[in-house]
Amino acid sequence: MAVRLKASEKILYNALIKAEAQNIADEFLQSGLPNRKNESYHYSDLKLLLDNIPDILENGEFSSEPEFNIAGAYNIFINNGRVEIAKKLPKDVEIGTISGTVFTPENDIVAKLNSALSKESLQLEIKGNLENIIYIEHRSNGQASFINDNIEIELLANANAIIIEIFTSSNNSHLSNHASRINLAENSNLTHIVLDLSAKENRHLYTLTYEVEKEARLNSLIIHKGANLARTQLFAKFVGENSHADFSGLTLAESEQHSDISINISHAVANTSSSENYKSVVRDRAKGIFQGKILVERDAQKIDAKMMHKGLMLSDDAQILVKPELEIYADDVICGHGATCGELDKDSLFYLMSRGIAYETARAMLIKAFLAEIFDFVENKNIHEILQKLIDDWLN
Amino acid sequence: MSDIMLEIKNLHVNVADKEILKGVNLTIKKGEVHAIMGRNGSGKSTLSYALTGKEGYEITKGEILLDGENILEMEPNERAVAGLFLAFQYPIEIPGVTTMTFLKAAMNAQRKAKGQEELSTPDFMRAVKKTAQELDIDSSMLKRPLNVGFSGGEKKRAEILQMALLKPKMCIFDETDSGLDIDALKIVAKGVNALRNENRSMLIITHYQRLLNYIVPDIVHVFSDGKIVKTGDKELALELEKQGYSKFDEVS
Repeated sequence: MAVRLKASEKILYNALIKAEAQNIADEFLQSGLPNRKNESYHYSDLKLLLDNIPDILENGEFSSEPEFNIAGAYNIFINNGRVEIAKKLPKDVEIGTISGTVFTPENDIVAKLNSALSKESLQLEIKGNLENIIYIEHRSNGQASFINDNIEIELLANANAIIIEIFTSSNNSHLSNHASRINLAENSNLTHIVLDLSAKENRHLYTLTYEVEKEARLNSLIIHKGANLARTQLFAKFVGENSHADFSGLTLAESEQHSDISINISHAVANTSSSENYKSVVRDRAKGIFQGKILVERDAQKIDAKMMHKGLMLSDDAQILVKPELEIYADDVICGHGATCGELDKDSLFYLMSRGIAYETARAMLIKAFLAEIFDFVENKNIHEILQKLIDDWLN
Repeated sequence: MSDIMLEIKNLHVNVADKEILKGVNLTIKKGEVHAIMGRNGSGKSTLSYALTGKEGYEITKGEILLDGENILEMEPNERAVAGLFLAFQYPIEIPGVTTMTFLKAAMNAQRKAKGQEELSTPDFMRAVKKTAQELDIDSSMLKRPLNVGFSGGEKKRAEILQMALLKPKMCIFDETDSGLDIDALKIVAKGVNALRNENRSMLIITHYQRLLNYIVPDIVHVFSDGKIVKTGDKELALELEKQGYSKFDEVS
């Protein structure tokens, strides 16, 4: 039975019809936007939160300069959903675009909206040991616009790469719905860093999918700092033995920001391992949400997976909501999860102050200490500096 | 100029609405080393926290003057700048802040508050290296997060290192001997003794006489039920060790 669509949902429905995505439009008519009755959107009721949907607009003024200049980076811009690629390609990379609807493997209406409404999908194929960092800047510019973009990345066997994705926007009430799908083939190695630095007026939805094959290694870091409403949903699936991934993320939320990172990690085969290490720091009236689910399938023995979320609340009206979940069907696994949440430790503050350090400085030192470990693994000096500055700016 | 460093007058302190200190009077002259001895739970640590301004230690009556200045309205960091230093019984572990970063922040915070220029990195490194060597502190320890994974002895030596670098005029040692074996105790005592001079006063809080064999006090006070019940010279510590605290309970 069809649900009663709100005005904003009718706009989305019409956009789907216009994009000739009849199947997804039919499905959307049945479901509408996900609300708190959908378990994975329980804390981020999009039916409620997405109250106005702007038109899909492609025009805007776009700089040819990136937000960050990273030494030796190969820059790709996605301007209001349109891909802009420099002519000269780095060695070991194939780049192209596909027009029209792309297939989405996730049974999720937000991901389906993205696949139907993206005008272009950026296709990257990486082989060998990549010398250049791949830098992808998603920009939402001009007047408020509804933007959909889509990336598919294939790391071929034995490839080795660093990819950094940045989201930026003008100070308008954009709604952006992004998706990145990354496949790590046998023995490939990827560091993938994603930063939402869009303006406070922006609403940011992001679906990130990894498929990890035999002996592959992944380091994944997501940082939410910008949009007023930000939701990243991460789906990772281990499909080959002896693969390993470290997932990490950081939420910095203030004023009225609503920031949700929800991860779904599936260990589908034996002898795979992962760590999940997420932190949230909230102040003012902001809300930080972390949902983490690890699924171990029946024949996936010898799995080692440890999930941790640590929250830090810097004001009385800020909130952190955490839901860790383990779903295990195999019997020979090591899985665990933990969550802590609180204010800064008073004894630590007193200790620093008793040595002459003023309250504000002591506080900043302790918050920085809390955050620093999240990107300890980043070896690239340029990127490390960007991340450090991002935290310093937020603290000042 | 007065020759009095610390003057505590009729100090009453509540913790969680319960009166713990019940009228402490204590005067320490410049250059003097005093010891306060008392059994566990007599309020000794409360005195050290009340002096340094920890949250939750509510002064209901009395005065604390440091070098003639009333410090009761000061924040803990302002008291440190004024020259007060507490060597903690249990130094706090702070993951994510290296000992070096912390030392530099503390030294520069105090210099800044006094209107002095910040230390240059080479000057800072030189000062730390020299003092660390004297205290038998390995340089690898300085690169580790503050107090994290330090042994009991390392933690106490790190406290003395901070004291030596910050050069306070009034030092309080809260049960500094707890958790130390005899060798570590000797190193710590040597560090403390090296810092004794005519302009620096010390207050040693302990419930064992053992530490006082190595740091010999000028004056010894017996603490019981939230106040000082007897004052004497270093012989009083020996008497206590022999006869126990119960003799003094009746006095209070």
